[in-house]
Amino acid sequence: MIQKVLLSLLLASSVFAQTYSFTELRYSDAINRSTQLEGKISFTKNGLNISYPQSAREIDYDNDTLNYYENGKIVQLPEMQSSKMMQYFDILRLLHKGDESELEGMFEIEDRSNVKILKPLGAIKNYINLIELRKYDNELKYIKLFLQNNDTISININD
Amino acid sequence: MTKYLNFIILFILLSVGVLLKDSMTISTNLLSLFATKESVEKLSIANNLGYSKEMLIAVKGFDKKSKADLREISKKLKELKHINFVQSSIVPTEEIQDYYKNNYSILAKFNDANITKEQVLQKLQALYDEQLSSVFYSSIDKNDPLALFKLENIKYSGISHKGEFITLGDYGFLIRVMTDVSPSQMSEAKELYEDVHTLLKEYPKVVAFAPFFYTVENSSKIKADVQWIIILSTVILLLIYYILIKNIRLLSQTVVALISSMLFASLISTIFIDNFNILSLAFGMSLTAVSIDYLLHYHFHNFYEASKKIDKNVLYGYLTTLSAFAVFSFIPIPLISQISSFAVLSLSFAYVLFTFVFPYLGLKRYEESNKIESVRQERKIPALIVFVLSLALFTYSAFNFKLDSNIRNLDYQNLKLLEAERLFKSNSGSKLTPVIVEATTQNKLIENLHELKSILPDTFSLASFVKDQKSCEVRQEELKAYDFARLNRLINEEASKIGFKESYFKNAYTFVSPLISCDVKELDIFKTYGLSIYHDKNIHYTIALVSDVKKIKNLSFISSIDVKEMFDRATQKMYDDLLYFGSFVFVIIFVLLLFSVRAHFIYAINYILFPLSFTMAVLVSMDAINIMHLFSLIILIAIGIDYGIYMSNSKKPTNTMLAVKYSLLSTIAAFGVLIFSTIVALNSIGIVIALGCGAIFILVKVMR
Repeated sequence: MIQKVLLSLLLASSVFAQTYSFTELRYSDAINRSTQLEGKISFTKNGLNISYPQSAREIDYDNDTLNYYENGKIVQLPEMQSSKMMQYFDILRLLHKGDESELEGMFEIEDRSNVKILKPLGAIKNYINLIELRKYDNELKYIKLFLQNNDTISININD
Repeated sequence: MTKYLNFIILFILLSVGVLLKDSMTISTNLLSLFATKESVEKLSIANNLGYSKEMLIAVKGFDKKSKADLREISKKLKELKHINFVQSSIVPTEEIQDYYKNNYSILAKFNDANITKEQVLQKLQALYDEQLSSVFYSSIDKNDPLALFKLENIKYSGISHKGEFITLGDYGFLIRVMTDVSPSQMSEAKELYEDVHTLLKEYPKVVAFAPFFYTVENSSKIKADVQWIIILSTVILLLIYYILIKNIRLLSQTVVALISSMLFASLISTIFIDNFNILSLAFGMSLTAVSIDYLLHYHFHNFYEASKKIDKNVLYGYLTTLSAFAVFSFIPIPLISQISSFAVLSLSFAYVLFTFVFPYLGLKRYEESNKIESVRQERKIPALIVFVLSLALFTYSAFNFKLDSNIRNLDYQNLKLLEAERLFKSNSGSKLTPVIVEATTQNKLIENLHELKSILPDTFSLASFVKDQKSCEVRQEELKAYDFARLNRLINEEASKIGFKESYFKNAYTFVSPLISCDVKELDIFKTYGLSIYHDKNIHYTIALVSDVKKIKNLSFISSIDVKEMFDRATQKMYDDLLYFGSFVFVIIFVLLLFSVRAHFIYAINYILFPLSFTMAVLVSMDAINIMHLFSLIILIAIGIDYGIYMSNSKKPTNTMLAVKYSLLSTIAAFGVLIFSTIVALNSIGIVIALGCGAIFILVKVMR
């Protein structure tokens, strides 16, 4: 119920977009090291906005358009990189919406109590091995992506 | 015994027909009647390349429900018979992805500049730093860490998409389905049509279209239409013969004579004329009914009781009609030349039967009534005035004349399907036109495609996926010359110093060896994009989608398959031929009429000029004139000639008038009823014949 109210608020206006603060932990297999980033993410009607206050960077993804800002100034990203990022953000939006029917078209879903395992079916299986989702009190709190090159990305929702 | 002569002739013809049935060939390819031989061949090649076998399904909207429907329908479609593949996403198939992986070193752009140890160190350090400091996740390509190879995205401007899903502009999601059914395969088309429509019944927001839908929907409509017309025609003929003439024996003998004439012409045409078409056969059979006017003239003038061997009026009428059709049998429009040849044969046979066989059948004499003519001669209009009026109507027609060159307008106008087709065309946003590319070998074909791509870079063809032999071999040489082993060693040494995981790059650049062969064998995998190669008589063909056909039309290996353009060209030629042959026929008719009616020339020629000018004036006032209108005007000439001769040379005008009236009714029964047809081609014939017969009727009544 809360999610439905939330969703309708999201749809009503991006001004009322829900903002979450998160901790992102990235493991790079190439250097066998992890890096941690703190940020904020807002889901809007047609996209999302991610900001990393410590490094003054912000990404705005709206209506299939991606804008990246460094210290408030727009910075052009290579086409390949921005197209990969958009794919990644589409997945994040989908996971946030938690739309079962849409997820089922793209993933093989395995339910284990609080944990959901998503195995990609389409083109994304070339990049992602599987996605692990954890919910607490029926709210999505943790996402972990296991990538093809043995890298991992974990996102912890702090709110 | 002579009483049964007519039946004996029919029996002989039937027996010959049974004996020669294997030698009789009838073509059902309607396209060959209108398009040139070359165009038909090109379309047949295009069919073999999958063109026109594609089915498009649009799901309205982009909401959650539309997406769910899209997935469900795509899944169900894959289970149907006659479906080769279903595409709703721009993501390449696994086969194509494998192809890219396996041929990566050949397909990707390669920077073969020599790289120093310092450059290696610099690039690897940047990668390492990015992993630690970038706010974006970026992966490291362990096979090509220095990014020497770069694969460019293939842009297919024919497809719009939202995310990974193909869309039909702003209308909704699109499913492209490649079937193995072409519009000419009736039973397969029907089977798939029914399967698809059963599947889509539960999705009200979905619209589907495929060229073969026309085959299925139109053929059943045409069948129903023709059935109704045959019934109507039969009823009118029975009415004329039984109720008006009240002579059942005459009816049966005439029907037998007509069947024999049709059979005779069918036998000769189907055995000796190449690709004699079913439509020409059907049309020719109807045309045979024109010969009834010979019989009616004989009957109402009691020719069969007289000792005369020949009636000059009927002979002149027959010879003039024969000359007109004989000339038209040489016209290079297959439909008209075939029908004209058939008419020459069937009308000649009918003339022989009605003139030389019917006197022996013992038919009942026609009892003349002593009625005085209802309209007195002096009240009638002089022939000269009708002649001037005809010229005026011709002038009016000439100034308002408009040709309809779209042959598709002749078909049954299936509004629902035309609307669906328009929906897909107007929303697709694709500006690309298919052309056929040919070459003697597969390698040469790929080379031609690359030449095409160099002229029009937005061309979508196999060249978007496959390198030509020459540039592939150049790449092989480049790869052979480059020292990848040294580079691998340098990368591993420097990476280890920087702090990369041990042996992380151990396979760097090993994918370049062994060298990939330049012979591409798996071209079939690109069928999902509608691209394939068809091989026939030592020539390889494929389709390319280009943005500007004009720019490349001079290339010898390109041929256009723009159906509209093909038909426009063919139609224009048809009109020109028709005008040329028509003028020739007119001259012949003038000479023959002058010879047969002499002093009554103006009176007789009015029977051709007035129906023609009247019908044309009405037609140009209503709409554009199509090829069927023009052809029917020719039939009108054939009908008019006979009446003109009979009426101008008649010694018993009342009897002649009666013969003409019944003959007109017969013609209306054979052709005029087509006015009720919903198929434009048939309806056009019906309108012309009905108007023409009406004009002749007016002449019979009012001209002196």
